[in-house]
Amino acid sequence: MLLIAFCVPIVGSALIFTWGRKGKRIRRWIAILSTLATSVFVCLALFLEPGRSYVLLEFTSRMTIAFTLDGMGKVFAGLIAFLWPLAMLYAFEYMEHETGENTFFGQYLLSYSMTLLIASSENLFSLYFFFELLTLSTVFLVAHGFSHRSMYAARKYLYYTLGAASLGFLSMISVLVYSDTTTFVLGGIPALQQAPHTMMLLLFVLGFFGFGVKAAVFPLHGWLPTASVAPTPVTSLLHAVAVVNAGVFSVARLAYYVYGPTLISGTWAQTLCISMASFTILFASVKAVHEQHLKRRLAYSTISNLSYMLFGLMLLTPLGLKAGLMHMIFHSLIKLTLFSCAGAIMVQTGREYVQELRGLRRQMPIVMTVFAFCAVELVGIPPFIIFQSKWALVTAAFGSGHVMGVIGVVVLLISAGFTAAYLLKPAVTAFALPIEKKPEEKRDPGWQMLTLFFVMTAAMLALILLGKPIADYLSQVVGLQ
Amino acid sequence: MQSILFILVPAIPLGLGVWFLFTRRFRAAEVMAGLVLSFAAMIALAVTGDGMQTLFTVAPGVTFVFRSDGAGRLFALLFSGVFMAAGFYALTYFKHEINPARFFAFYFFSLFALESLCMAGSLLTMYLCFETLTLCSFPMVLYDRSREAVAAGIKYLLYSIAGAMMGLFGVIYLTLHTTSSTFVAGGSLEAELLGNPPALLLIALFVCIIGFGTKAGLFPMHGWLPTAHPIAPTPASAVLSGVIVNAGVLCIFRVIYFAAGTEALRGTWVQTALLSLSLLTVLIGSAQALRQKHIKRRLAYSTVSQISYILFGLFLLESTAAEGALLHTVFHSVMKTSLFLCAGALIMYGGTADVDEMRGIGKKMPVTMWSFAIAGVGLVGIPPMSGFLSKWVLAQGAVQSGMPVFYWLGPVVLLVSALLTAGYIAPVVLGAFFPGEQEISTRAKRAPVGMLAPLGVLAALSLLFGLYSVPLRNAIDTVLNTLF
Repeated sequence: MLLIAFCVPIVGSALIFTWGRKGKRIRRWIAILSTLATSVFVCLALFLEPGRSYVLLEFTSRMTIAFTLDGMGKVFAGLIAFLWPLAMLYAFEYMEHETGENTFFGQYLLSYSMTLLIASSENLFSLYFFFELLTLSTVFLVAHGFSHRSMYAARKYLYYTLGAASLGFLSMISVLVYSDTTTFVLGGIPALQQAPHTMMLLLFVLGFFGFGVKAAVFPLHGWLPTASVAPTPVTSLLHAVAVVNAGVFSVARLAYYVYGPTLISGTWAQTLCISMASFTILFASVKAVHEQHLKRRLAYSTISNLSYMLFGLMLLTPLGLKAGLMHMIFHSLIKLTLFSCAGAIMVQTGREYVQELRGLRRQMPIVMTVFAFCAVELVGIPPFIIFQSKWALVTAAFGSGHVMGVIGVVVLLISAGFTAAYLLKPAVTAFALPIEKKPEEKRDPGWQMLTLFFVMTAAMLALILLGKPIADYLSQVVGLQ
Repeated sequence: MQSILFILVPAIPLGLGVWFLFTRRFRAAEVMAGLVLSFAAMIALAVTGDGMQTLFTVAPGVTFVFRSDGAGRLFALLFSGVFMAAGFYALTYFKHEINPARFFAFYFFSLFALESLCMAGSLLTMYLCFETLTLCSFPMVLYDRSREAVAAGIKYLLYSIAGAMMGLFGVIYLTLHTTSSTFVAGGSLEAELLGNPPALLLIALFVCIIGFGTKAGLFPMHGWLPTAHPIAPTPASAVLSGVIVNAGVLCIFRVIYFAAGTEALRGTWVQTALLSLSLLTVLIGSAQALRQKHIKRRLAYSTVSQISYILFGLFLLESTAAEGALLHTVFHSVMKTSLFLCAGALIMYGGTADVDEMRGIGKKMPVTMWSFAIAGVGLVGIPPMSGFLSKWVLAQGAVQSGMPVFYWLGPVVLLVSALLTAGYIAPVVLGAFFPGEQEISTRAKRAPVGMLAPLGVLAALSLLFGLYSVPLRNAIDTVLNTLF
């Protein structure tokens, strides 16, 4: 099942590249059918064949491309499988306003496959391999349209991710050297625990930044706001969910499944990583408040929230991992919706800047209501979902006993205040009177975009009550139960 | 019976609010019925006595609980009572508006949030209700959607959320370090933290109280109050100043007396800092009120000052002072609502918001001006008005507490502030009744009975409480007896 799930989008994108030019309808049918089929197969794989392992390629006996869906992989794969069809549907309507649909959908499908492959990689080597491939399959999506700005963004994206991934490569290869294997083990690869300690910490920090580049950790965050020139489906799904979460996911793999919490816990490496994450949280929130371009503002908000997750992970306790994963799920839902709102506003009214949102509720009541709802969610007001993950984060931080934990809590709360400033403010002004009194025509988008908004809102509301099962499941994943 | 009431009390205003918001129309009878029913349900809940009800659990350790106890009931009855008066006033006030259903929707949402806040049984629930209150009440500030109103609304929102986040820091710390997950009279801090309080505990408490103090206009988080209160439509400014600020008082009361316990704070730098801040706020508020010409802004600064009387009383951690604080909560709420309602009538029917242009207005609007005078004199604290009683008890408590410096500084500041209060209230009243040689405002006309009745009743109440307040004091004593 898993293998089929990987292959369907690849075949689909190949079909689009070959036949897609024949017409819009055929292209779109291929795209949506293969997305749906993939999601179905992922679901089947999640439920029917847990823990089954595949070896796809053997470069050498130690370097294999192998897959399995373990607990953490399931969380990520399930999340992706839920979001991708919705985003695809959204993209159909969005791409009416752009050119180059063919390449767009082809690559969009291709990156689905790559993300799934990252989620289900069984060892660090395959993870690294697909980490790079994900970069390559998304870089043309950023460059979409090939204008000066998009080319610049794509180059920046490429330099940042490929450059930093070389650090990850160093880390990965050294793991191979020291332990003869890179297969993930919860708690760390045993052979590494005996290896030279300082060396290991150094390598871990390299890996943290190398894989953390996709999670936009400071100082490697620069590509993300620039990349928001890409079409909105790319920014919403890839740069708020798939790609960036792949970064977080890889760091989690590195910390918990390769080097292991016992190795890093309480060392300078942990302090450094937590400080970096905390700093990123604050820095990005402040930048978001100052940023006037709506999508770039959301991108900074993503950077800040990704570092919430990194902060949770780097507490190196099961509770911290759980909180980080929880935040990953909840933040993905919200940020995807927020970006989609921004995209809908852009294509329907051409407004891109925060000041222009004034009075927009009259024109786009549904979109702006959803936007305001998500803004309230993201601030972390109970009982909405982000509150649950933030609560898990702060209790984990207090419980870790690390000094940085307490500082991190303060940082989280300050950042929540900034979140209110950069999200609630535009949301409120949208409900104020418009500046010019023009006849108000309704400009809410069509059903394809609205589907995303309705499903996501319903999911967020449902999760208020379903938060407990999710938390329980995550406890199982991180080995608490 | 009680478990039904726990659901019913918040459900009535919430349901009505949703109804008004989505149907976009309302009838006066519905509003009246809603207000009276809410008040009646609250009384019914109060009669059934103490109790506890778990609402829902969203995640392990994140449980929301409602609880009915003396302190909550006191605040809840006060809140819903004052809301009822201001709501009746609003019906007349909004008569000429095209569609005030939106206002009433958020009015009821605010009542819902306030009642839930009073019934909150744990720190987390309280935090939830505090945030809900912010989100429910700030649209009232936005009502006319002008540029200034939106700016003021956003200022209120951001201050309150920042405050709530500060509060959350303390809430997290206390939740993790108290033995009981719900409120316990006298606090339930872990025993090992009491003897030798760690710095983090004190910092958390300080930050938490400053944070919740945002709603109560405590310096340095008071900035939003004089901006947001005057710009809202009058019934909203009345409840913002008369009621919603007290939500901050309630939260602080809960944190100190029901979660952390007085012993955690007594004699620490936190207590000193908070006492100093509250006295500073008293002076800043009064002094600023003197400088304002706009009557509603003057009253808003007066609120800043008066609420810090209450906070000063609570921070003394002494039973008489706490009694004074709670008395002042009730009295100030009644007086300030009455004053704001008067101000609204003066602006609407007197034709001016500038206190200097109100000369001679007392002849044209006798009932309004008399009510203003009665409530205003009460605010200054002249016997036999209620304001005198609460301030007297407060000062007595300050002396009895024996806190170094504050046992004399407190009463002195209260006196100075009373003089300043007289300075900003008396000229308005005197000018209105004795215009002297100057030109008399002629545009003024009598306000309709629908507005006069609520403000008159509240003014009369403030006098009545001064003359006879035994049941109220008994109720407050019962609450405090469990705490000290």
